[in-house]
Amino acid sequence: MKPSKRMCLLVILGAALVRPLLAAPPSPWEKPAADLADQIAAILGPGQAHLTIRNLSTISNDEIPLIRRLLSEDLKTRGVAMAGAESANTIRVTLSQDWLDGLWVAEIGEGSTTQVAMVRAGLVHGASSDAGVKQPIALRKQIFWSENVATPPLSLPQFGTDSVLAVAETNSGLVVVTDEGVMTYALSFQTWSFQKRFPFAERSSVPRDARAIAIPAADGGSFTVFAAGLACAGSYTLPTDAAAMPRDGWAFRCHASDDPWPIAADASGAPQLKAFYNSARDYFTGVVSPSVGVDLPPFYAAALIPRSSGNAALLIGGSDGKVQLAENNALKIVSGTRDWGSDFAVLHSGCGAGVQVIASSSGEAASDSLRAYELPALEAVPASAPLAMEGTVTALWSAPDGKSVLAVVRNAANEYEVDRVTALCN
Amino acid sequence: MLRRFAISFCLALVCACAWARTRPHYGGTLHVETAGDPWQRSDGLARRLVLDGLTALDANGLVSPALAVEWTSDANDHRWQFRLRQSVHFHDGSPLNSTAVVMALNTACAANCPWTAVRAVGSTVVFTSDSPMPDLPALLAGNAYLIALTRTADGQTPANPIGTGPFQFASLTNGTLTLTANDSCWQGRPFVDEIVITGNRPIREQWLDLGAGRADIAEVPPQDVRQAQQQHLSVVVSPPVELLALQVSDSGALSNAVLRAAIAQGVDRSALSNVIFQKQGEITASLLPQSLTGYAFLFPTDRDLSKAVELRGGLTAPPLVMSADGDGTMQLAAQRIALNLHEAGFNVRVTNLLSSNRPDMTLEKLPLVGGDSAAALETLLRSAGENVPVAGQNPTALYRAERDFLDLKTLVPLLDLPRAWALGSRVRDVRLRADGTPDLAGASLEGTQ
Repeated sequence: MKPSKRMCLLVILGAALVRPLLAAPPSPWEKPAADLADQIAAILGPGQAHLTIRNLSTISNDEIPLIRRLLSEDLKTRGVAMAGAESANTIRVTLSQDWLDGLWVAEIGEGSTTQVAMVRAGLVHGASSDAGVKQPIALRKQIFWSENVATPPLSLPQFGTDSVLAVAETNSGLVVVTDEGVMTYALSFQTWSFQKRFPFAERSSVPRDARAIAIPAADGGSFTVFAAGLACAGSYTLPTDAAAMPRDGWAFRCHASDDPWPIAADASGAPQLKAFYNSARDYFTGVVSPSVGVDLPPFYAAALIPRSSGNAALLIGGSDGKVQLAENNALKIVSGTRDWGSDFAVLHSGCGAGVQVIASSSGEAASDSLRAYELPALEAVPASAPLAMEGTVTALWSAPDGKSVLAVVRNAANEYEVDRVTALCN
Repeated sequence: MLRRFAISFCLALVCACAWARTRPHYGGTLHVETAGDPWQRSDGLARRLVLDGLTALDANGLVSPALAVEWTSDANDHRWQFRLRQSVHFHDGSPLNSTAVVMALNTACAANCPWTAVRAVGSTVVFTSDSPMPDLPALLAGNAYLIALTRTADGQTPANPIGTGPFQFASLTNGTLTLTANDSCWQGRPFVDEIVITGNRPIREQWLDLGAGRADIAEVPPQDVRQAQQQHLSVVVSPPVELLALQVSDSGALSNAVLRAAIAQGVDRSALSNVIFQKQGEITASLLPQSLTGYAFLFPTDRDLSKAVELRGGLTAPPLVMSADGDGTMQLAAQRIALNLHEAGFNVRVTNLLSSNRPDMTLEKLPLVGGDSAAALETLLRSAGENVPVAGQNPTALYRAERDFLDLKTLVPLLDLPRAWALGSRVRDVRLRADGTPDLAGASLEGTQ
């Protein structure tokens, strides 16, 4: 063999060996194309046919040439060769979709008769991009927990479709509070794996716009949960019984309670302010402990804002839609809050004035968002661009260290995720 | 995982829930006006506010738990067992139990139930049937199987409907139905204190009341959607939830299937859509919409008059009677179809549904329930008086079931129609159910507390 021929052979051999390693991942269309070709060939038998494809689905039209090529090749290997429009046999493939998924439909015409074949096919959607705007403070979000990766899913028939109300991170795992109870998760290979479910015992009903708070103890070993009409405590202890599973170490107990909920804590986690919650509704009654020196109206959200004087003022989002600041025994309306929704939380970012209020949008825009504001006086001044959230923000609270806020987001498919929102100083 | 059907549905929700991030307020009285009877009509929105089913359909049309929290079936779907939710009470305080559920179901459907027998076993309800019931959980979500108390604690038949729903019946005076919030509803107390529903109100008067602030929610028939939008009413439109169809009798003058096929070919769906329904209906020749099945395009919708004439051939059908179910628009649609059929050589007289004993054809609206397409098909066929169990979600099997049924030419699908509602400025968080009616239990009013 001549050296050049030997070299050529080596190149071909090398390419053959390397090709599988470099090969693109299999196309999602390979299987449906092969399955549809199977059915078409079974109906048509060996011969020629004219193939047309139309797209009634959300599949990008850019994918059509690939699908056509796959179908043509699969049909050819099954004895059906492609022919021009003059062919008596026609294969009209429609890329369609039903309420579940993609559906490919082939209408196979032989003379005056038409037969139909169908296969299921997935739908591939493009990813959306999130362009930020340069602002003094930039908000960033990171998925902290998602129903999509939770096992089991929340919507088990026996538990109904749970709404996620709050989460708390402890040393032993994650506590997710829903309107039906509490679920615990442990971190396993960087994902939260389900451990145990504790239903709220035999509550006759829950409010429609249910709310709850979950607070990890300062040492991270236990947690408390407040839900409408309930006060609960939970903890984790590593089981000593060799036969026990790790998940058996979780304990959780509730009792009926109208005790006020701790709504603000100091750096050690000790509650600074408690508020009585109307367990038949979705707001706090306005009665807080200790008193702030002025009668408060019913409110949805409250946060302690450090003031330049060294004291703290209480910011409340009233059920009447007014945002007010309780300071120096007086209650004053804060302007610039027209776009605020019902939820806000304090973020100790260290940027700008050091402390910002993260407020959900009022919903007048098409998509929900969070935005940072500073309150130098009695006016809320935007300190960041709106951070688009991929759904509706249904709950918002400050993380125990105050350096991030956590947001529960419900997307259009009614699935929940919890996002951690932090600020970057620009 | 939303598909086109669900996406369009959610778009409707987004329109309706513009202020979802501001928490809903409690209190106030919601004033609703409808053209029909809010209680007597099978799709009357009051029934769903007072009564619950064992199951329910969520916004995407998927079956979800309601008064039953879980269910199991045997391998062949001949026997189903539904476990009831605990601690649920009827509005009169009596507990919901399996005996009450069985009595309610037997009263609801009597001899026309999809099951052979239903019985109470502890805290469960067991359905058995000679034929498989693969879609029973979805069927039980229908309006026909809502649970109403049939006997009070003292053995009396309740004078007014008593259910477990978010609102309880308070009064019915001069066609005005008043419902009050059920504070101990298992789904949570509704936000508004009271709903006042005025029935049998002409559409134009509903809109006037809406503009004057006397009503918060008014009906918008599909053909009036554009006009309502031109009048700057805030309109929320559902995806298709009703099938306008011509039911053709297979006895009497149209017992010949060829004549029925000629009628199917002779109807001009485009004219119905463009002229009568102002382009608010989706033209269809299939039972279920394209968004639900993905294969509806396989059923051709174009009118073929020459084919209709050819099919009729030398056959001369005697004068036919067509009745129309519903309002003036339905009568107009029936007149239009009669005109189409006249061009195909048929002599058709249109009558009111009440004035005709056994019409040869009936123009009617049948319910389209989203989500599970097999259950939707079975529900639709049941509404048309056909008892055809549809097995499985296999699209090929479903297509064949539809094709086989439509080949009988006893039902001619015409248009998929939405339902629409106009909302007043103080109403918020109105979501539409899978059947296109507003879920008023989740609605709230601005300026209340």
